[in-house]
Amino acid sequence: MTPELNQLTDSARQVVAGLGLGLAADEQEAYSLIAELGWLMVSTPEEQGGLGMGLAGACALHTELGRGLATVPFLPQLLAISAVSSGAWPGQEIWLESMMSGERRVTTSLGESSLTVERDGDGAMKLNGRAVALASADCASHVLVEAADGVCLALLALDQSGVRITARPTWDVTRRLFDLEVSDAALDPQLIIAQGESASLLRQRLAILRDFALAADAVGGAMALLEMTVEYLQTRQQFGRPLALFQALKHRCADLKAHTEAAQALLQDGLDAVTDREGDVIATPEAEMKALAVKQLACSAYAAVAEESLQLHGGIGMTSEHDCHLFLKRALLNEHLGRRQDSYDRGLADRFIAGLNQA
Amino acid sequence: MSAASSQEALRREVRDWLSQNVDAGWRAAMTDSEQEAFFALQKEWFSELVKAGYATPHWPEGWPGGGRSLAEQKIIYEEVARADAPRLILYFVALYHAACTLFECGSAEQQSRYLPAILEGEIWCQGFSEPNAGSDLASLKTRAVRQGDHYVITGQKTWSTMAQYADRCLLLARTDKGERPQAGLTYLLLDMRARGVTVRPISQITGDDEFAEIFFDEVEVPVEDRIGEEGAGWAVAQTTLASERGLTLVELSQRMRYALPLIVDAMRRSDRLDDAAIRRDFGRLITHVDAACALADRYLLKRISGDEAPGDASIVKLYYARTLREFTALGKRIAGLDGQYHRGFMRGATQETGNWTVDFMNSYNWSIAGGSDEIQRNIIAERMLGMPREPRDWTLKGQGA
Repeated sequence: MTPELNQLTDSARQVVAGLGLGLAADEQEAYSLIAELGWLMVSTPEEQGGLGMGLAGACALHTELGRGLATVPFLPQLLAISAVSSGAWPGQEIWLESMMSGERRVTTSLGESSLTVERDGDGAMKLNGRAVALASADCASHVLVEAADGVCLALLALDQSGVRITARPTWDVTRRLFDLEVSDAALDPQLIIAQGESASLLRQRLAILRDFALAADAVGGAMALLEMTVEYLQTRQQFGRPLALFQALKHRCADLKAHTEAAQALLQDGLDAVTDREGDVIATPEAEMKALAVKQLACSAYAAVAEESLQLHGGIGMTSEHDCHLFLKRALLNEHLGRRQDSYDRGLADRFIAGLNQA
Repeated sequence: MSAASSQEALRREVRDWLSQNVDAGWRAAMTDSEQEAFFALQKEWFSELVKAGYATPHWPEGWPGGGRSLAEQKIIYEEVARADAPRLILYFVALYHAACTLFECGSAEQQSRYLPAILEGEIWCQGFSEPNAGSDLASLKTRAVRQGDHYVITGQKTWSTMAQYADRCLLLARTDKGERPQAGLTYLLLDMRARGVTVRPISQITGDDEFAEIFFDEVEVPVEDRIGEEGAGWAVAQTTLASERGLTLVELSQRMRYALPLIVDAMRRSDRLDDAAIRRDFGRLITHVDAACALADRYLLKRISGDEAPGDASIVKLYYARTLREFTALGKRIAGLDGQYHRGFMRGATQETGNWTVDFMNSYNWSIAGGSDEIQRNIIAERMLGMPREPRDWTLKGQGA
């Protein structure tokens, strides 16, 4: 890591610790704070008024937010900012500035969507279909929509006719997800960010960014939870000795540590593989494969740490008084955000085999 | 030239040399082969690498091929893996363990006596482990008794790689029953042709015999062949064990990555290329192999920058060992009954040969040798996570510590 990234990590850790774990922090206050701190500008290139810290900067922040089980919907806004800042479209400058300052809030689907675009006789574009896992959509004025077939990416006002959001409470109480239903909603031509080939490239870049961000969140959560669990084992005494003295438990913690370190190494290693010299995400088949691997490994490490931690905490881990369950629920949700869970493994194998056949 | 561009030039140079000098037929020649053929191939490959200056990049400046930075050594290993060159296992102990121990702890006289011979092909083996001192190495019992200008060695060593071919042995023996078991150990260089040395190869479950037992029956070692002071052997042995500095696992994890198409071959052979369950497990394996490479890579970078923390090396080894087991187990599973029919093993090969049951059995080398998975987990738990070490006096009633 560069000194700048280390500095960012250190200050982010302090900020997140100051907010308190999970629901201890008020979502709106936390949002205002991170906007004030300039976190929303982290990945935007300097020439567009951002901090120019690229994907690595975003991942450093996501790791710390994951550590603290932060409720603040950072990722959807960051994805939308990344979309808005790319290419050249009419509203770019105004939207970019107001989104980076946190004044305008845009949500994004963190799951799969099935939105389609049709053109009517006059060339007006109509959107139809569903998208899931829009985080904190009730606080946003717009949603970044991607037509499933890659025809276009656009901003859609949430208050326009034909657009409906529905709250979908999850077991993970540190996130607030919404479904989006769209029927015959007109797309504002002024808010179309990309179309055709450039839309599908942008879509791939956003998927890579999303996968890395979720992986970073998972790595941060896994590290924090493992530390918490080891501390518990050091403190809790049974049979006249701390639980941490039992080799059966030490070895499980060691395996979890190895799993987490592997995820972190792959994430760090992957940052170079999926970014260009400026630190911006590139959409190549290799980058996409790297993102699949990084997300899969990090989320599986988080889930493994969470599942084992519950067991290692014993009865107290089953109670809502302890924070263990908050990590478990976030870990489980992380596994299912992004693509379908199984499609990460399958996707890697399919691409690997296709690559061999081409060679 | 900048460091980056001179490294790129080295990579090109090594790649070109390997493409001209690696005999692609070595795997076939080593399958179901006799020991003599293995010995000949290792010898020839060794002398070619020495000539080209790629056998000793880790040696100090001034030695042929020496003076390479760790970053440059890494490049050489990555290219060796990429070219699927034979592994130099017959000479590994000589080039790394013996040489690095001599460089760091040997006298000028010992260095000038033994190092040139290593370059000429002298083969060394390691005499550390004993039947009752494996993970608990410090409890070893082979005795060295000082008699005038020599030590008399009596005892037994085991798991000594390639000892049946070795000219010399790095021996760790007990000169004193000290307060702490580590305190009474002394490090000696032993001539394997000396009177009283008997070597018995150990027959492995794969049919190979890479390891041997060594018996010492009043073998005399001159005092000038002692490294360090009497009783300082434990510290010298740590130098020996630290000598390869993570390069082996950079090479082996890269080799594992290049071997992934073997799994696809197995799928094709067993007509299961489109089996969704296998594809899913294969995808998971790709991720784990990728992570093993990333861990080994980052560990080496930490060594280069001096940021290595206790336990880092254990994570790399544990993760590699688990992933290698997963790799070979998946191959074995895909091969099905076909994999269960006996096929001769490949001598001195890498860990992945596509002879799946052999590969699977061989994967235990990495979870047992060089500090078992269990030892690595203890190190990670105690030194990285700060969990307590169990008290030394935890013994069953009636048995001493």
